[in-house]
Amino acid sequence: MTEPFIDAKHRVLRRSVRAFCEQELRPIAAEIDQEARFPWEVAEQMGRLGYFGIQAPPELGGAGLDTLSYAIIIEEVSRVSAAIGLCLSVHNSVALFPILAFGSAEQHRRWAPLLARGERIGAFCLTEPNAGSDAAGITATALPDGDHWVVNANKVFVTNGGIADICLIFARTDPAAGRKGISVIVAERGTPGFVVGDLEDLCGMRANPVSSIRLYDSRVPRDHLLGKAGQGLAIGLAALDTGRIGIAAQALGIAQAALEEGVLYARQRQQFGVPLARHQAIQMMIADMATQVDAARMMVYRAAWTKDQGAPVSRAAAQAKLFAAEAAGTVTDLAVQIHGGYGYSKAYAVERFYRDARVTRIYEGTSEVHRTVIAREVLG
Amino acid sequence: MSIHSIVCIKSVVRAAADGVGRRTPDNSELNPFDRPALEAALQLKADQGGTVTVLTMGPPVGAEALAEALAMGADRAVLISDTALAGSDTLVTARVLATAIDAIGPWDLLFFGTRSSDSDTGQVGPQTAAVLQRPFVGGVNRIARGEQGWELQRLMDDWEEVWQAPAPVVVTIHPMAFKPRAISLPGIAEAYACPAVEHWGLDRLALTADQVGLNGSPTRVARLQKVVRDRTCRMLEGEPPQQVAALVDHLERMGVMGS
Repeated sequence: MTEPFIDAKHRVLRRSVRAFCEQELRPIAAEIDQEARFPWEVAEQMGRLGYFGIQAPPELGGAGLDTLSYAIIIEEVSRVSAAIGLCLSVHNSVALFPILAFGSAEQHRRWAPLLARGERIGAFCLTEPNAGSDAAGITATALPDGDHWVVNANKVFVTNGGIADICLIFARTDPAAGRKGISVIVAERGTPGFVVGDLEDLCGMRANPVSSIRLYDSRVPRDHLLGKAGQGLAIGLAALDTGRIGIAAQALGIAQAALEEGVLYARQRQQFGVPLARHQAIQMMIADMATQVDAARMMVYRAAWTKDQGAPVSRAAAQAKLFAAEAAGTVTDLAVQIHGGYGYSKAYAVERFYRDARVTRIYEGTSEVHRTVIAREVLG
Repeated sequence: MSIHSIVCIKSVVRAAADGVGRRTPDNSELNPFDRPALEAALQLKADQGGTVTVLTMGPPVGAEALAEALAMGADRAVLISDTALAGSDTLVTARVLATAIDAIGPWDLLFFGTRSSDSDTGQVGPQTAAVLQRPFVGGVNRIARGEQGWELQRLMDDWEEVWQAPAPVVVTIHPMAFKPRAISLPGIAEAYACPAVEHWGLDRLALTADQVGLNGSPTRVARLQKVVRDRTCRMLEGEPPQQVAALVDHLERMGVMGS
């Protein structure tokens, strides 16, 4: 029997990524979560192996793989460490991808190879204290002054913020033009006035250094404008279409991990003289978990496959992200339930999965925003 | 001199719950004992130049194991696949591989893993050497140029043996000797960028169906029986000295302790 959407290349890819993650990431996954530590020792290996340039073309230092490969890689990495899956998803889909899709040849040459080889880490800086789902409500500004933009921004909850070198800053270049006055400026760490704030002490995804990034009168060269002035929201939406597939794949990976742990524990743990798996109450949970995971996988792969066909993907990506994130919530919750009291302890991995899953319903568009997107697509 | 290494690999069955391995893509993988052999050949290529050819015999799913080898850095991959080959034992496998190796062309080193993780015979490497009438060294952990060919080191208990062998030579590689490299994503993309795996049928090897498969095999699996290990727990009574005496007595009767 062959799996839908998947060909031999994807199977080889999945096996290879899984083997790497089991060997290099599994032994430290719990520790980096507890210590809230970004594992450079593994990230550097991943950089050499192409994980930071999954879809970038080979001539720019990337692996040149398709969107379905990207989804499988994020799924597999997140199955072992969701925080590292998050780092890769954001770096590949909302930092590197917009540079490839909207950048000039000179911008490609300047940033893409460094990002694709993982020698520089990318970040996407849209959210502000008072502008999250309401992206058009940002107040950051980038005003022209000679050969530079003078950037003032207060960006919060920046994934990879603590390690990012190349940041896509959404700012108003024409404050009078409303939504059409928002642009994307690429700011590099080290620019005077570029400040990385304290790391957030998060519930989950703790190995990812999420921080605020602030720019105070930072002078960024004029040729760091990505795309055209005023194109910011369009770039953001295009990036988020790809990003949603990544976050959906991440949620799928977490759910898959929780299912595996739930099954393992149900087979091992004895209560009332038999393994948990013999109790019908537990069987019902396992059946629901497996079904949720399967359905999420089909939706995620379909969205990725649709993008690879060059077809419009907003709806498929939004549905996949909504469903997979909600499924991750349900499945990790059930996995904790199967573990009973032990599932509430850091001694068991499901406790981490439960915390990690929660944010997939929030970031890169909340479940509610996704429902709005889907409804708009359905109702016209 | 450019070195041409050939590495024979196997796509093994991951799990055979009822004793019969189903060779589906999801139930197959590159034999873990072949990875160090592949790594040894790739390191030799990196150090001294040359090319690496990977070769396997088996069902079409073996193409995926070959693609992994290409992604690791092999230059050429050959899959010998033919329905007539089904049921081939190790001797027939060795004959088919030897015929293919002759067809591939001149070579300097022929690598195998020490054994396969599914059928676990450890025979195909040495048998192929015998069919090819070339010297064989098993369990090699270091390869260097020798006086008239290759200098090959292997471990025997706590002793290092160093062999001088004229080229071309056949080796199996010790499973712990070479840590297989992780597969890179660009490597996978390149492995599938062009139809890199060559598919050969029996016609390509000038072999006939009666020479191979079950018909050509002098051995066959007569019976397959799952080994069941029962574990029991017995509590020893009395004070510690009595418990120790009872334990020693029991271990002696089991034959695990001399009396």
